[in-house]
Amino acid sequence: MGVVNNKNKSFARGARLAQLGAGLAGSYLAYQLQRPFLSDEKQKSRRQSLNNKQATSVREELQNLRGPIMKVGQALSMQTHALGPEWIEQLSALQMQAPPMHPSLMRAQFKSAFGKYPEEVYRSFEPKPFAAASLGQVHWAVTPGGDEVVVKIQYPAIREAIESDFTLLKTAGFAARLTGFLKDSIVQEAQRGILEETDYLLEAKNIEYFQKALQPLDFMRTPKVYRSLSNGQVLTMSRVPGMRLDEFLATKPSQELRNRVGASLMRLFFFQLFHVKALHADPHPGNYLFNLDGTIGLVDFGCVKYLKPEAIRCYGLFWSREWLHDDDLYAEVVHTVFGRKAAVKDAHVRRVMKEIAGFYDKFHPLTPNPPLLDVGDPKFMDSLTELARTLIKNKFLSADFLFLSRTESGMCNLLHILKAQLPSTKIAREYIPVITNK
Amino acid sequence: MKEKPRSRKEPKPRTNKAPKPGKRDENKERTKERILDVAMKLFQKHGLDGTTTKQISRQAGIAEGTLFNYFKTKEDLALFFFQKETDSLIEWFRGEKDLQRAPLAEKLFAIIHRQLEYLEPCEDFIGAVFFRSLQPRSKLSPLSLESQEFRIKYLKFIKEVLSEAEEEKEIPPLGDLGAYAVGLFYIGIVTHWLHDPSNGKQKTLAILDRCLQMGTRFVKKEGWEW
Ligand SMILES: Nc1ncnc2c1ncn2[C@@H]1O[C@H](COP(=O)(O)OP(=O)(O)OP(=O)(O)O)[C@@H](O)[C@H]1O
Repeated sequence: MGVVNNKNKSFARGARLAQLGAGLAGSYLAYQLQRPFLSDEKQKSRRQSLNNKQATSVREELQNLRGPIMKVGQALSMQTHALGPEWIEQLSALQMQAPPMHPSLMRAQFKSAFGKYPEEVYRSFEPKPFAAASLGQVHWAVTPGGDEVVVKIQYPAIREAIESDFTLLKTAGFAARLTGFLKDSIVQEAQRGILEETDYLLEAKNIEYFQKALQPLDFMRTPKVYRSLSNGQVLTMSRVPGMRLDEFLATKPSQELRNRVGASLMRLFFFQLFHVKALHADPHPGNYLFNLDGTIGLVDFGCVKYLKPEAIRCYGLFWSREWLHDDDLYAEVVHTVFGRKAAVKDAHVRRVMKEIAGFYDKFHPLTPNPPLLDVGDPKFMDSLTELARTLIKNKFLSADFLFLSRTESGMCNLLHILKAQLPSTKIAREYIPVITNK
Repeated sequence: MKEKPRSRKEPKPRTNKAPKPGKRDENKERTKERILDVAMKLFQKHGLDGTTTKQISRQAGIAEGTLFNYFKTKEDLALFFFQKETDSLIEWFRGEKDLQRAPLAEKLFAIIHRQLEYLEPCEDFIGAVFFRSLQPRSKLSPLSLESQEFRIKYLKFIKEVLSEAEEEKEIPPLGDLGAYAVGLFYIGIVTHWLHDPSNGKQKTLAILDRCLQMGTRFVKKEGWEW
């Protein structure tokens, strides 16, 4: 009983964190779009003009509409610059979910998208989906050559549906309250971003990029795209073996295995950051598949962020904490986190910087021979949540940095649920380059 | 009142178990199908009005005069097309084992999608026919007696499908009204389909799915749940 309880608690904490993480995501839109339009004063007054009640009621309205409009809510939740934290939390709770397709609709849609019926294309095709995707659903199949594959199929006309959602958003009465303080161009940019997600060929490109880039990590398994069996609405890829996290935990893996898997996840994070220089930015636990031999499958490359050098450097600084004793590096970090105009000596800024240092002292202690970090410890997660909350309330400059935080939170969430204990400092040192004042 | 010369000659046209037709009838039916096949291809290429009876008869390998023995007008040809469609639809549906166990919304989706698929290769022709059927004097008009035969066959078939769902307690008894509603809905969907500019006409698929899901839920709950 105690076990179940603990697990639930872990999951609940993870969920809270994931919400925050989702709120942190994608603020590159704000970075790109918001700055030219809103002065700091205006932004402040607008933020104050909102209250939680309003935020909740708009979320409820969007929730009632269901369908693709929720994607819009999600996208708007990424506008951390435009919306106050109360909005971000409300809107990011929306989960986009296309309606399920029964076998007849799935076949019709496949034919419409691919020109043939699935049974004409594959040796065998399971008409019942095994998983839902945000824009469609996922089926098992076997290629004519006998390979076991996974086929992701988009719900019909989802692109058009999203487009009309945006039209609605721009015109309907309830949206006025949102659009009243959201510039048209922001909505436009959110629309562009979402529409990009509807193109599975872009995802295919991301998969291929990561498949190559992650090759040095022998514990990672990524899918292979079957180009001739894919297009913008149908994505065929090799089946990545593994269990979902809860299934994996149900096998009662030993502490040793959980530690090994945890260390691998951490290596994956650092390797992406400092070598691939791009992040698989959807930390949803369903995207990781676990095996008893310690290998890890990674799927869902719909959301990949290619990072700018400044963000990577700033992150390296967080870990190295060189900035604690170097004024120039300190200023660099402040400017990356708070924006170019931020006053380095500002009391609030100092407080946040101290919180950042405090968190990394726990995550990555610089003392000689630190003990294993117990990520299963709720206190560790609470300090991470606290830091994320503090950061979310501040104006970010670098969108890349936001993706980074989000992925880091996602990784910690997985490590926490795994109750992994790891030599975090040792692992970090394997990857983090020495950063000096430039 | 217009007559229905062909059905008068055929012994029992409305029963489901068709009697064994004689050799002559069989040949006649085959010729009609050949003419239809040829005509559809020509309509697709040259349009309904751009196709001449001469072209049709030449390609079907019959004399132009003989053609009129089979079909007096292009509308008769269209009527034959829809009769064929209805027959093949019913035959196909009964052969789909998995579909028999599917929920009503999926059954109706599959049926209407199958109809659209049948229409697909001759979309232009259907568009023209649809337009014509709005004229009250047209044999294709829903009110014309000529068109009643295949329409009633279709409605009876839909009623059967609905009755199965009624028996399974999936929906409350609807009587004939349900079949009429589906029939009207089908016409609406075809109209949407004809004008659907979306990629692969996917909007029609989405609307068809959404409406049927909503409609069956509506009927099940015997009203809207607000
Ligand atoms: N190659 C694969 N091998 C095995 N399982 C897979 C594979 N691809 C996807 N899946 C499973 O299908 C689920 C949904 O797929 P995916 O995450 O790609 O869809 P999505 O539309 O991006 O959904 P979301 O954004 O909600 O996670 C995954 O969580 C995973 O469990």
